[in-house]
Amino acid sequence: MSQKIRSLSVNEPLKSTQLDPKFKYEVAKEPGGEGLGYCFQCGKCTATCPIRRVESIYKPRQILRAALLGLREIVLSSDVIWLCATCFSCTERCPQGVKLADVMRAIRNIAVREGYIHPFFQAQGKMISEIGRIFEDDEFINEQRADLGLPPVPIVNLEEFKKILDSTKIKELLASKGSK
Amino acid sequence: MSKNIRIGVYVCHCGLNIAGVVNVKDAVNYAVSLSGVVIAKDHRYACSDLGQALIKKDIIDYHLDRIVIASCSPRMHESTFRKVLEAADLNPYMLDMVNIREQCSWVHIGEPEKATEKAKDLIRMAVVRSKLLEPLTIKEVKVLRSVLIIGGGIAGMNAALDLANIGFKVYLVEKSETIGGQMTKLDKTFPTMDCSICVEGPKMVDVFRHPNIKVFSMAEVVSMGGFVGNFTVKVKNNPRYVIPENCTGCGECAEACPVEYPNRWEMRLGTRRAISVPFPQVVPLLYTLNKDHCIECYKCVDVCGERRAIDFKQETEEVELNVGAIIVAIGYDFFDPSTLKEYGYGSYRNVISSIEMERLLNAAGPTRGKLFRISDGKFPKRIGFIQCVGSRDERIGQIYCSNACCLNSIKLAIQIKEKHPESEVYIFYNDIRAFGKGFEEVYRKARESWITFVRGIPPEIKEDNTTENLKILVHDQCLGKLVEFEVDLVTLAIGMVPQDSARPLSKVLHIPIDSDGFFLEAHSKIRPVDTHTAGIFLAGTCQGPKNIHESVSQGKAAASSVAALLSKGEIRIESTIAHLDQDLCIGCDLCKEACPYDAVRTENGKSFIMDVLCRGCGVCASSCPEHAITMKHFTDEEVLAQVITAFQG
Repeated sequence: MSQKIRSLSVNEPLKSTQLDPKFKYEVAKEPGGEGLGYCFQCGKCTATCPIRRVESIYKPRQILRAALLGLREIVLSSDVIWLCATCFSCTERCPQGVKLADVMRAIRNIAVREGYIHPFFQAQGKMISEIGRIFEDDEFINEQRADLGLPPVPIVNLEEFKKILDSTKIKELLASKGSK
Repeated sequence: MSKNIRIGVYVCHCGLNIAGVVNVKDAVNYAVSLSGVVIAKDHRYACSDLGQALIKKDIIDYHLDRIVIASCSPRMHESTFRKVLEAADLNPYMLDMVNIREQCSWVHIGEPEKATEKAKDLIRMAVVRSKLLEPLTIKEVKVLRSVLIIGGGIAGMNAALDLANIGFKVYLVEKSETIGGQMTKLDKTFPTMDCSICVEGPKMVDVFRHPNIKVFSMAEVVSMGGFVGNFTVKVKNNPRYVIPENCTGCGECAEACPVEYPNRWEMRLGTRRAISVPFPQVVPLLYTLNKDHCIECYKCVDVCGERRAIDFKQETEEVELNVGAIIVAIGYDFFDPSTLKEYGYGSYRNVISSIEMERLLNAAGPTRGKLFRISDGKFPKRIGFIQCVGSRDERIGQIYCSNACCLNSIKLAIQIKEKHPESEVYIFYNDIRAFGKGFEEVYRKARESWITFVRGIPPEIKEDNTTENLKILVHDQCLGKLVEFEVDLVTLAIGMVPQDSARPLSKVLHIPIDSDGFFLEAHSKIRPVDTHTAGIFLAGTCQGPKNIHESVSQGKAAASSVAALLSKGEIRIESTIAHLDQDLCIGCDLCKEACPYDAVRTENGKSFIMDVLCRGCGVCASSCPEHAITMKHFTDEEVLAQVITAFQG
């Protein structure tokens, strides 16, 4: 990925008109978002996050803070909400029992409904729906597998797979809303 | 003379506190070489049971008649070792203590040799002085089984009830019209959220009805004399122009009264009649006529009729009380937020104080519990609380944390959210101090109730000219960004300040005040309700900001201290006092003027010292031009002998 990742784009000072106090309720209503309010901003999540170690703009604490304050558009349109790898280190260590990975998923679900989706996820989705995988298999991989005594990558039954995918309506979701 | 003197010297290690720096063995060997010293020993902890037993045994076995202990400060253990001497049938004043911990090992931690030399010098000085020590007579005085409590708030009331239940006679002196204190103004109390007056009201009634408690309302202490066990106190009863015996508390007078004036009890939000009660649950239930506002129409007198409870000629009365002990529990006052111009309290109508918010939320308050803005009567959908107003602010000399404001604002915010879930409540804070039992749960509940905590204290509030809404620019420390909030109402979480009456009362009682203006306890940890004056105790917020449960605990602690003091019926008083030789006295009265305790009296042109009043401060002795006054246990001879040996080496 060569694309630049954008952090929360906040111009100071934030005006009260930019705050949507209802956003916290919206997140809390989304499955997984319930514990958002308990966050008391200790920062253990950010300090423990392995993504943060390789990508310094990813700060889970800051995302939760912005969500609690009601920076709805800023949070939903940001790239950083897509960086969570759901390793659950934060969830494991949060002293207030906030399930951060779940909260992050809840925020992403709202973002998708609102038409925000990161191009990388869009590309992945497209890939899956077309070939049933998130990346193309090639001869090189099969050669490597052969060296290990493994059979070639199994062929996906695309017809079956597409039926399943269609039932999830992921295609429509990606096609119609992925442009923002 | 010296052949009769048998001195024992004990050098304490205090673990490694002393022995880690001072060469204790060296000091002991040195002490043995001094004239008059029969035995010198070291001990790991001289104050321990073992150490005390050793000293006691030595006194008996070696017929010691003077003891020098080189250890910590006499403030710490002089009384401990005096008891050891007594247990060995030696007069307790035949003891001298040398502080080789604070004065040697602690201050000269990097110079063990010099510290040891200094310890030896100090030991030699004490040995020389000890030879001049004289046994002093132990005096015991009878104590009165009665107690004065100044201040009828939650701390004073709890002290009064406990002491009265034990069987002591309690005089409770309250400055205002009613007992109950500041707690009567609160709506609910954290962490349990129970109604303040519902908890406190019955206690107020219990206090007033208790056969062992006499309540003086609208009264103040004007003078105090005497000493522990035997204080004489003058109490001034201010007139309320209503005769207590005749007033039935019916309130017809207030209904008839045509004059209204601001009710201080409701802060800026309510009024009362010129003859009235500040709130319905007052104890004693007596009406008060305020002559500053009365127009003398006598309508109240007419409706009172046969009861004849109103007396325009009532005058100030003074009563004298004799008590064995005194508990000071005069409480706190609210910080005046108009001091901080940046928040606009007093000029912006929608900026109120936290205590005004209490009144607005109270069902018995000026709005019957309805929350609305003062500017337009509309419900404030967005409410901001600003913490630490008048606390932790060096600019205005309020350096301390006021203890209760964090939880108080959280409590108010939860109340607002419970009644009005559609509202948005912001708390602007720097630290949330939810330190007490059950407090963290309240803080968590607040977040569960979606109260928004913003870490950052606003530097100022700006008012919108047309809407009278308030704009608050805060640096949200957690977001790391500046955020401008617009709210409909701001509540300033005002801190606690000492009562105006604290300073004058400290002069009347001769007890000190700390740098914040609160009364100073004898020791912040192990003597938190004692003062440095025997028989005078502190309770509640007059000693420093506290929440309710801490004030109650202190009230009960002070009561137990008083009971421990007075239960025996007599107490021992300090013998280290001034002695005046009347043959030398020229009657100049300089000592009398110098004495801060009024212990010097004059008779037939000569002064004499009232033993029981003297606290042994020594000011009289140093003021006497004829050297007629000797400080027992600190005679000139003793002190000079120390000085001389210090320089002779």
